Amino acid sequence: MFSIIYYIREFLRPQWITTFFTAKTAPLVTPPYFRDFPELTDKECTHCLACMMICPAPDAITVVKREEIWRPEITKGHCIRCGLCIEACPEDVLTSGRILAYKKEEELTLKGTFHIEIDQSKCMGCGNCTVACPVNREIDPSLRSSGTSSSGEVIMRVDTGQNKVLHEEKCTGCKTCEESCSNQAIRVARVVEALQGVEE
Amino acid sequence: MSLLQSLKNAVRSRSIHVAYVNVGSCNGCDIEILACLSPRYDIEQYGIYVHNNPREADVLLITGAFSPQWEDKLKPLWDKIPHPKVAVAIGNCPISGCVFNRPETLVDPPVSKHIPIAAEIPGCPPRPTEIISTILSLAPIIFKDYEETKK
Repeated sequence: MFSIIYYIREFLRPQWITTFFTAKTAPLVTPPYFRDFPELTDKECTHCLACMMICPAPDAITVVKREEIWRPEITKGHCIRCGLCIEACPEDVLTSGRILAYKKEEELTLKGTFHIEIDQSKCMGCGNCTVACPVNREIDPSLRSSGTSSSGEVIMRVDTGQNKVLHEEKCTGCKTCEESCSNQAIRVARVVEALQGVEE
Repeated sequence: MSLLQSLKNAVRSRSIHVAYVNVGSCNGCDIEILACLSPRYDIEQYGIYVHNNPREADVLLITGAFSPQWEDKLKPLWDKIPHPKVAVAIGNCPISGCVFNRPETLVDPPVSKHIPIAAEIPGCPPRPTEIISTILSLAPIIFKDYEETKK
């Protein structure tokens, strides 16, 4: 009997009633370590395009010149917040969460190379990719429309009717060759390795 | 404003029914929607209920980059939802296709090509708090004084 009275009195307390009807969990805040969309720091962008090269999502990051200053810009709706651009940037232009902190602590650098693969069953040796390649043009300005070249220093050249890759390490990963190929025979793949510690 | 309308406003602000549909998502965003139901985020304290039935839904949450199988199914599903209704695109996929929108793939983003989208939440996936705050900020715009403003 006493307990029933005790319970009724307990549950009629105004404080209990108000908390019962207005109870809410604490407002949720985004923790400071959350890896949000990358934001700009005050460091200067050198237009090396390392962020654009590492980005896995199409059109997510572009480096554009506004008011005479190069700046990376993130497109929301494309960016997947992976943070790779922050890790790849040699100048620490971008920041998000604690990526910059552990990048400094672990002395993390990303080293990327590009691997060119030509499907010889699809390639017809037209030389479009060889001529379109901006690095090729710089090395051998006399590169002809057939894609043949007398220089042995070019990335690739057409030799005896077949396109052959000579210097893969010079590729900058712009993928102009992929776009110019009518058969989708050439593919540029990015090979990235993460390095810890200071490079010797 | 009539008494009936103010009564409807009061009820609707605390009773938002949600249906979610996966039009070819990788399930990441669906897991974030599921996290909204958990005690940590607890959407029912804001008066949002998940029924997953378009006939009684107010808000349609769409995840995924729109695979070809949904071509003839999403529009009828949208038409089944009674007015007032609103569609929210969750994640990057319904907005741009993101990493799936490559040459030689079959996805057909954005979803706004197929049904009207009122709000888009970018992120891969977005945080549960972002989903909740979007629904809560969108609901008064769509549902408040609906009968008076629709004319």
